[in-house]
Amino acid sequence: MIEKNFEGLSVRWVIALKGEAEEIIKNYAMKRVATTPFPVYKNKDLDMWLILSGIGQLNAVAATSYLYVKSDASYNTIWINFGIVGSRNFKVGELIQIDKITSSDFQDNYYPSPSTFKNNNIERCNLITVNKPEKLFENDAVYDMEGYGFFSFAKKIAPYELVSVLKIISDIPGTDLSKIDKNRVEILISKKIQFIEKVLENLLDLQKILFLQLRDPKYFDEICLQKKFTFSQKVTLRKYLTQWQARFPQRNPLEEIGQRMTASQILKKFSDNLMR
Amino acid sequence: MVDTIYAEDEIIGTKKAQEIISKFRHAKVTTIKRFGEVFNPSNQNFRIQKTNPALILAKKQKGFVLDAPEGFGIGDQNNYYFSHMYNCLYDCSYCFLQGMYNSANYLVFVNFDDYQNEIEKTIKKHKEKKMTFFTGYDCDSLAMEPITNFINDFVPFFSRYKKVLFEIRTKSINNTVFRKHNPLANCIVAYSLMPEALAKILDKKAPSVSARIKNMKYLEDKGWRIGLRFDPLIYCNNWKAQYADLFANIFKEIKEENIHSVSFGSLRFPTSFFNKLLQYYPNSEELSFLRSNDRGIISYDQSIENEMNEFCRLELMKYCDARKFFSCG
Repeated sequence: MIEKNFEGLSVRWVIALKGEAEEIIKNYAMKRVATTPFPVYKNKDLDMWLILSGIGQLNAVAATSYLYVKSDASYNTIWINFGIVGSRNFKVGELIQIDKITSSDFQDNYYPSPSTFKNNNIERCNLITVNKPEKLFENDAVYDMEGYGFFSFAKKIAPYELVSVLKIISDIPGTDLSKIDKNRVEILISKKIQFIEKVLENLLDLQKILFLQLRDPKYFDEICLQKKFTFSQKVTLRKYLTQWQARFPQRNPLEEIGQRMTASQILKKFSDNLMR
Repeated sequence: MVDTIYAEDEIIGTKKAQEIISKFRHAKVTTIKRFGEVFNPSNQNFRIQKTNPALILAKKQKGFVLDAPEGFGIGDQNNYYFSHMYNCLYDCSYCFLQGMYNSANYLVFVNFDDYQNEIEKTIKKHKEKKMTFFTGYDCDSLAMEPITNFINDFVPFFSRYKKVLFEIRTKSINNTVFRKHNPLANCIVAYSLMPEALAKILDKKAPSVSARIKNMKYLEDKGWRIGLRFDPLIYCNNWKAQYADLFANIFKEIKEENIHSVSFGSLRFPTSFFNKLLQYYPNSEELSFLRSNDRGIISYDQSIENEMNEFCRLELMKYCDARKFFSCG
């Protein structure tokens, strides 16, 4: 379980069906907060959301973009597509982390970042996203109906390093698809929940690194509130304050600012101080 | 070390690619169409990737030999560089590669023959001119030698062109390959150096400066020619004493006559590179002295640059013929 809600924690799950999502919803104590156009769930205390997209690539893209807007997801958000897949290479119940995503419809391939695989010893495999349930499994890959659509959108709204596709094998050649019911899927997933948590923990570690890179330097907001800075002046201010913190950690830059100073005079003052 | 290898369909079956793949028995190999699929997407984070870089094996299609940036030479009329690899085993805080590439994955172009053909053509085209070929600009070739065997392939190649200089720029103390070959008069093993205290903070994962000096001494004794590269010069408190000590320590070990050239230049970046670096290292005091100049380059104030260059020049003249000095940038 995630024990601490560190500043910047932000997670979004995109899952096709309720049966695939049930264990995740339970494990992270999420409650339903919306029903249409897609069912959406949320943890009360953490910035963790889950959406049921329904089957297919179009639904996956629509649900991901809907959740992006509805949950006001920042750039520094973890996005995980989770669900069941078929394969001829693995045993039923195995958890797979996807390292290459192809589609039967599109030329481009996607490659989730190797940083997301670090030290978790979870099997990795290519994913082929198809438009109807696969029975032949002609390639050495796992087959689903959402992953490609999900990734094609998620990589635009978050860094590659925070986007992951996780799958559990539910069917192999010869499986009677009518027998894969909700209960069976939930059992398969409950057996792997600790490994799913491990993947999420690794992603959270990466998110922390990013959070530290992206946050504004100390005093930035206060100074922007005091004077009116243009967009480009804010860029320069951000840079100078970052350098200021590194050089003069004991000196408060607010004390350098006179009451009547304009934005450009403030920037000049910082620049002169930082010169040597 | 590397747990993920991406290999282009076109080269995965080649001898060089297989030779490299065989060195990583536990790595997962994934085929790709072109390296750009993995290396180029813009929404990647260099620093995070650096925690677990993958290896990408690809075929270089064009641009095998490039003109070296202005001010990069060591005395010859024509200067070229070629990069069989992008990104580095080391993790130096001031490295421009972090600003230049979206990806920290190691990208190795395995078609060495094509590089050699293009270098050969360039040499023949300008045969009346003196020229230098630099490697180690986009990577540290020597540090990756156990994986690529690049120097092992290129030292014999350049031995055929005695009038052409071949510079290997490095921080690595790997000397195995230099034991396998006879010293080459037209090959310079050029060491990037800075004061030890600074290197401890900035040259992460790279060998210590004292180990580099020890290795230079070893190579010198074997008959290899040495280059000294103080690029970038880093401004900090007490920099004069630190650089004076560094120069004294080097020339205590290395004989002046075995030094081919000495070059130095202060820290500088294109603005966009610098902005990324500042984001990656917000607490770096070394980066806090840099400013944007009127040429759109981030560098030290001109007075600092001049002072550093002048001090280092005078200090180095105590040990070395000034005709061997070259300034960078």
